[in-house]
Amino acid sequence: MKVTLKVFRYNPETDQRPRYDVFHLEAEPNDRVLDLLEKVKAELDGSLSYRRSCAHGICGSDAMRINGRNRLACKTLVKDVGTTIVVEPILGLPVLKDLIVDMEPFFESYRKVMPWFINTDPPPEKERLQSPEERERFDDTTKCILCAACTTSCPVFWADGSYFGPAAIVNAHRFIFDSRDQAAAERLAILAQEEGVWRCRTSFNCTEACPREIQITKAIAEVKRAILTGRLD
Amino acid sequence: MSDPKTTFTGYARYRATGQLAFLLHRITGLGILLFLLIHIVDTSFVYFAPELYDHAIQIYRSLPFMIGEIFLVWAVFYHGFNGLRIIIFDLWKPEWWEKDIAVKSVYWVLVLSILAWLPAAFIMGKAVIENHFLGG
Repeated sequence: MKVTLKVFRYNPETDQRPRYDVFHLEAEPNDRVLDLLEKVKAELDGSLSYRRSCAHGICGSDAMRINGRNRLACKTLVKDVGTTIVVEPILGLPVLKDLIVDMEPFFESYRKVMPWFINTDPPPEKERLQSPEERERFDDTTKCILCAACTTSCPVFWADGSYFGPAAIVNAHRFIFDSRDQAAAERLAILAQEEGVWRCRTSFNCTEACPREIQITKAIAEVKRAILTGRLD
Repeated sequence: MSDPKTTFTGYARYRATGQLAFLLHRITGLGILLFLLIHIVDTSFVYFAPELYDHAIQIYRSLPFMIGEIFLVWAVFYHGFNGLRIIIFDLWKPEWWEKDIAVKSVYWVLVLSILAWLPAAFIMGKAVIENHFLGG
């Protein structure tokens, strides 16, 4: 099938403003959008820049806006997006070049929620036991690959980059509801701040954008409720 | 990085169902607020400038205003129903913030607001036709 690929191009060092380059390609319906970008880079224009690493939906490098929605280019098939494909960088983070954005503001918010295991008890001889139900409680939010598709789909984040954003809250949720962790109160206090969960307006874009199908808005609502009630049930 | 350009690019070009409800909620909210402000100003004319008050009432009876009011009623219904949806989901049923349910609820609220609005739209529409087109 013939595919028209429109790609956002911008080099802040040389370009006054962004432009869109159009490529006409021959593709299979089961090709991924990433395959098209690889083809352009290898055969047509080596200066095209984008991030990709594993190319199998795990590393979270290639989140981009494909036909107006945040997706992973490596998990998006041509047959699912049609024959005219517009590829743009994710919104709300500074564009470094073409489809590459500066992820530092995103990771800065991520670090603020202390996304690591905290337990000051002396380590037991074997492991810290947990029932299957206790593990299930936060299973959904362990799936995050930090691709930023959710945070950069959030209208509140577009308007206010200092909002922690869905991804940071998801990763806080992963530890807040972990029965072995002891810092839930601290994380809830951080998320109760001005730039925390109360900035969420439940627009639901994050859940729709997540390539791992994490129920993000639900996780945020659970954190809101934990802050209100002080309970972690 | 955040600026109005990013925000409006997202509003206009990002494709998602949830965002539809988010935008309608904001637009209807701002519309209602605008009407309320105008209404407060014109009502204050009763005290401050009675002759202007009569003029304001005349404007309310003009065709664009009467049609605008019909949509204002829809805006109130939509904003109310959508607000209730968010309150119920957020406070009582976080488990409903799940892809299938939440996306469907966006459309349900839209349908409900239109159904609730139709009787009022009918009555108000009738008044518009009688006043402006049948010389009533």
